Amino acid sequence: MSKPTFILSALALTCLAIYLFVTAPPPIEDPDQVGSGPRIPVAEALTILNAENARVRSIYTRDIVGAGLKVGLKFDEDWKDDAVQAGPLPALFLRETSLRLERRPVPLGLFLGSKYPIASANQFAGDQATAFTKMESDGKPAYFYSKDTKRHTAMFADRAAVQACVTCHNEHPDSPKSDWALHDIMGATTWTLPSDSVSHSQMLELIDALRGSVAEAYGSYLNKAAQFPHPPAIGESWPAQGYALPTQEVFMARVKRDCDEGTLEALLAQRQTSPSVSPETAEARP
Amino acid sequence: MLVSATVERMAISRERQRLGYLIGGCLAVLEAIVLLSPDLDAAHAKGPMNTGHETVQCEQCHQRAPGTTRQQIQANVNHLLGTREQPADFGFKAVSNADCLACHDRPDDRHPVFRFLEPRFADARKNIGAHQCVGCHAEHNGVRVSNNGEFCQQCHASMEEDGDALHRPLVQAQDWESCLRCHDFHGNYVKEAPNDINNAATARQVDAYLSGGTSPYGTERHFKARRTRP
Repeated sequence: MSKPTFILSALALTCLAIYLFVTAPPPIEDPDQVGSGPRIPVAEALTILNAENARVRSIYTRDIVGAGLKVGLKFDEDWKDDAVQAGPLPALFLRETSLRLERRPVPLGLFLGSKYPIASANQFAGDQATAFTKMESDGKPAYFYSKDTKRHTAMFADRAAVQACVTCHNEHPDSPKSDWALHDIMGATTWTLPSDSVSHSQMLELIDALRGSVAEAYGSYLNKAAQFPHPPAIGESWPAQGYALPTQEVFMARVKRDCDEGTLEALLAQRQTSPSVSPETAEARP
Repeated sequence: MLVSATVERMAISRERQRLGYLIGGCLAVLEAIVLLSPDLDAAHAKGPMNTGHETVQCEQCHQRAPGTTRQQIQANVNHLLGTREQPADFGFKAVSNADCLACHDRPDDRHPVFRFLEPRFADARKNIGAHQCVGCHAEHNGVRVSNNGEFCQQCHASMEEDGDALHRPLVQAQDWESCLRCHDFHGNYVKEAPNDINNAATARQVDAYLSGGTSPYGTERHFKARRTRP
């Protein structure tokens, strides 16, 4: 390279560097690095969300389905059919929550599957089947990275919480297993998230998205129940008090009451253990 | 004589030059009209719009990427240098499921596209791109469904053993074409699926529908797509 060419090239590169970096406007937000401060590893973030979801499922299973069956409310796998006067079974309530969650702007995935599902389309395969086999023996959560979807994945055991789960799955004609017992690991909830960590503000967004999805899922059941020929009273009362269902606000107040303390403690524990990341170093994260 | 011929050649040359400029200018104006007029979107589209999208404008799907050109260059150079995790879209955002769902999202889709992001659907993702709307509905093809219709078998092959009496024989016979004769994939039509394959639509009717023809599932739908994105 001749001397003039070298000088001109160096000048051009210097001008380009100044144009791009020194005088440039603020950088476009990196979706993986939104928020500053301590970051929560993805496994911990999904554990917090799963704990929230487990409490919601417990409320729905025991206090809506369990108590509701005793006062004449019906729950059915075909609850969405116009001709069926019933609400969603616990697994389908989770499916409804998952559907609502996926339509929100946060890239959070929630799925329910099993090695012995009633609907064969819910059968685990590949990495999930491998992880579930191990989970059946040790009961511990499984974490792995799904390469083709580029999502971090966590699986948590889904146990038979009440006798109604056991009875229904044992007696269902399409069930491939009929000797379930209380507290057996019947399947697993699977969570997916693209980032390997989230900021505290992102974590709050995820929790908010999950709770919002739960509220919408319960709202869809209330909408269906209001159309029953003999609709339950929708108000302050729970099925344990009669042929009634709590309003969406009452149901979510209970969810909030049962979840807030555990979630706050988990977030505070993360704040104490997570490395602090300044906005500058967050930008430089590879 | 020689001078006169030279002057004449120069005049002809100038005349041709003017004509060249005129033609070039007209072509530039014409190109600008074709590129900028919303009414002429189809003239520079990759191909004919799919069924139902005939009146959809380019910008409904092809949205501008966030940031200025300078910011986009800056972000991508930073990504190349390893100081930024994700690259940034340049010019326009890549069309994604979110763009399709802006008009087609509904609460009771029987096969919501995001469900296929679960790890266990790896084969369906690999074979037909089931996790993307464009896996089956690639735009600018002038049809309703752009793949070859081989989607049911990606996930429901186990019905060969555990299917009910109605479906098992069809799956055992590998008659995957029969699925859509009774069931519409997204469950958007109000019409109930028949309980007898003999009362179902014909394979030819289904093929015609996938190619953009009339629906074999009736006309009444649970949900109608928005005409423009909100």
